[in-house]
Amino acid sequence: MFAARLIEALGADAVKTAPEDLAVYAFDAYSQALLPSVVVLPSSTRDVAAAVKIANDCGEPIVARGAGTGLCGGAVPAKGGMVLSFARMNRILELDTRNRRARVQPGLVNLDLSRASQPSGLFYAPDPSSQKVCTIGGNCATNAGGPHCLSYGTTVNHVLGLELVDDAGEVFHTSIDDAGYDLTGALVGSEGTLAIICAADVRLMKLPEEVRVWVAAFRDVECASQTVSAIIAAGVVPTALEIMDEIIVKVVEASYQAGYPLDAGAVLLVEYAGFANDMNEYEAAIEKIASENGAISWRAARSQAERDALWAGRKGAAGATGRLAPNYYIQDVCVPRSKLPAALAAVGASARAHELTVGNVFHAGDGNLHPLLMYDKRDCKQVGAVIDAGNEILQACVDLGGTISGEHGIGYEKRDTLSLVFSTEDLAAMARVREVFDPKRVLNPEKIFPAGVSCGEVR
Amino acid sequence: MMIEQRPAKVGPAGAAELGAFLKDASERGDVLEIQGGNTLASMGQPVQAAHTVLSTQKLRRVLAYEFENLTVSVEAGLTLRALRALLAERNQFVPLDAPRAQHATVGGTLAAGWLGPRRHLLGRSRDYVIGSRVALADGTLVAAGGMVVKNVTGYDMSKLYIGSFGTLGVLVSANFKTLPLPAQARLFTARLPEHSWLRTLTHVGELEVPPTAALWVHGFSKSIAGDDGTDGRVMILLEGSAALIERGTRELRAALGRGGVPETAIHNEGARDLFERALDGYVAPTGQRSITYRIFGTPDNIESMVREVYGLAREHALAPEAIADILNGDIAFRLSAKDARAFAERIEAFDDALHASYARAQIIAGQSPVRPSLNLWGELPPAIEKMRALKVLFDPARILNPGRFIGGI
Ligand SMILES: Cc1cc2nc3c(=O)[nH]c(=O)nc-3n(C[C@H](O)[C@H](O)[C@H](O)COP(=O)(O)OP(=O)(O)OC[C@H]3O[C@@H](n4cnc5c(N)ncnc54)[C@H](O)[C@@H]3O)c2cc1C
Repeated sequence: MFAARLIEALGADAVKTAPEDLAVYAFDAYSQALLPSVVVLPSSTRDVAAAVKIANDCGEPIVARGAGTGLCGGAVPAKGGMVLSFARMNRILELDTRNRRARVQPGLVNLDLSRASQPSGLFYAPDPSSQKVCTIGGNCATNAGGPHCLSYGTTVNHVLGLELVDDAGEVFHTSIDDAGYDLTGALVGSEGTLAIICAADVRLMKLPEEVRVWVAAFRDVECASQTVSAIIAAGVVPTALEIMDEIIVKVVEASYQAGYPLDAGAVLLVEYAGFANDMNEYEAAIEKIASENGAISWRAARSQAERDALWAGRKGAAGATGRLAPNYYIQDVCVPRSKLPAALAAVGASARAHELTVGNVFHAGDGNLHPLLMYDKRDCKQVGAVIDAGNEILQACVDLGGTISGEHGIGYEKRDTLSLVFSTEDLAAMARVREVFDPKRVLNPEKIFPAGVSCGEVR
Repeated sequence: MMIEQRPAKVGPAGAAELGAFLKDASERGDVLEIQGGNTLASMGQPVQAAHTVLSTQKLRRVLAYEFENLTVSVEAGLTLRALRALLAERNQFVPLDAPRAQHATVGGTLAAGWLGPRRHLLGRSRDYVIGSRVALADGTLVAAGGMVVKNVTGYDMSKLYIGSFGTLGVLVSANFKTLPLPAQARLFTARLPEHSWLRTLTHVGELEVPPTAALWVHGFSKSIAGDDGTDGRVMILLEGSAALIERGTRELRAALGRGGVPETAIHNEGARDLFERALDGYVAPTGQRSITYRIFGTPDNIESMVREVYGLAREHALAPEAIADILNGDIAFRLSAKDARAFAERIEAFDDALHASYARAQIIAGQSPVRPSLNLWGELPPAIEKMRALKVLFDPARILNPGRFIGGI
């Protein structure tokens, strides 16, 4: 009945119901898998609105999906229902280079936008490591970050307006230039629980005049993170400050031959993009801080090719850990930057206590840690250890004044740990927003909110 | 005889006291007018039948300045100038850029979502807020975000409170990420005779080293130091390293020269102070015989916007003055007449005519008694119904600044 009505409205080509098709949409990059009852591939905002109306009539939940690279089960259809996959809505609708903005469909792959803007001397700044596959819609829904968010900010700082379909299938628009509440700001990062993004107006930036990339090697990850804290404390904000520890560097080099030193306990990747006039001064300042904090070597990438290789290695790091263990669990936490050494020490202690191998590759400049816990999912004991260590890391970072997700989101995975950070009252205020946009909880149910939080509790 | 009942004023000195006060007020249904430095009092409708003015001015503590993390947490009543001074001690800043910084509060500036001239390069105030604490209408204190610079833990509730004009909750404190203060600042001022200014300003927008701000100011003679108000003049701020400023200076001079600007004055000492004072013009009053509008466009149509509005002003026998934000494409216009009565007679027709061309024009300053009958916020945003629904859930008894914001929110 449900599928039949969707086929009638959108055509058979846009609706998938075969079990082998549904299986593909049962999971994202998080391990939990749950089957949808139907998958819809809309071609337009109108298709989305029509599909949402039909889902409503049939009492089916609606889960939007970009590329499925999310790491917290955000795109998993937790209560079944309809998955709306944006794979066919992947066009750039307008590239306004003069005013440095673009209007894009949600299924556009992140990197494709920067590629398309480059000939005009522009780029799209938010660059998740998954940018070759993840979509702008998914990025908006998760407020994605990336290595370059240190100086450019995260996705929300680059979204100017949205076209959306609401819980009832009605199209609405928001813009940061409209008078009234900043709905754009509130909708970015809402993980598909408030409305479905059907187009986004985003800001493009002028390509920097000059870019330099340096690699510093350290004895251990504590020295590297101490260096990052010192760079920030000195009021120097490069465009990117990324750390990889020994375990990660070894697999990255084995997979990519990126050019990182193999004899170090940790490496720090530094990028500064800006005006040629400032480059030497910056380099001197950062190199000095690195050497004061125990850098054992310092090297500048000499060419675009060398820079690209270093970045390709960094962005491919998580995937390269396949060489170490059949599975990895990537944690995502954020702490004040002066607390980086303490947070890393807590990560190390927790991994040791549970006899797990941990690799660290992270957006150090933002205080955003990504411990990768290696395991084999066929071994129940290891799975349990990973879950316990993951939770200990969350608690340790909260105790250090940090938070339980810096960029990957809460989704399905972390909803029950939200109360580590927020009180019942804090969550009830969020639930009021949910109540306004999705009173029947049809949009991505079972996400973000711990089971049982509703705004009814405070009324 | 009508006796106007002036609302009482209370100023809680801490978050808990504020919460307790709100709890009582909500139980009694007392309508509150939330007030910071009162510098943007002329934005929006006067709060109808306010029982009490709730001032945040005693909430002015610095809660945490983690300068080594480039973060700071301050209470809502701290003035922008005090925040600036605090951060300057560590060579840091937050680009809030609102007028009358010695009075304007952090909370008021955020609640108004004030848009300053450096935003084209540095972003808006909302882009610097990493956390906040808000007292809801029933007195509950709620936190949003935190003290980390990247955070996707739940909805980013701060975004809703910023720019909500105190209609969803009372901002108690805000956490910011700060920026390192550029080593140097240089302000350029130049006379810009009307006939040549357009060409010149277009060049400024295309420079390799972009100025952090560029304003063309016409009029506002008493509001901005040193301006005699006869010609337009341009104020351009460059910030950066010494080397960058030298380069920017060369580029800017060449551009201004090409545009036919004969002479440019350079201010190195106190450049930022001079610039900050220029911002005061946005809300500078002229008794009851003026109103200031703000209209938003794009940098490339700024010249036609000025021409059109000046034309309209003259048609309605009103004297126009302007602050044009060249790099963001928005313009503030102050319209005035020689006395309050003449002004009141002319402004309504002008208001209609202006909104026919610029539907989103807003009123940002002016004490004319006719102000409340004008179109204060411009056209309703397309998502107004969602906004109304938020107001209903956050302030069901309508005690927080009711009616002040767009659409009667
Ligand atoms: C190897 C790897 C590296 C990564 N690196 C980073 C990184 O550096 N920074 C970072 O932030 N993340 C990173 N991620 C996580 C992930 O890529 C981001 O969360 C990304 O934004 C998800 O985009 P997606 O298109 O894959 O969305 P999906 O995974 O399909 O969906 C993510 C969430 O968004 C919702 N959603 C998707 N589209 C829409 C829409 N149109 N309307 C409403 N809701 C929608 C979904 O329901 C879901 O809740 C990484 C992931 C991997 C696997």
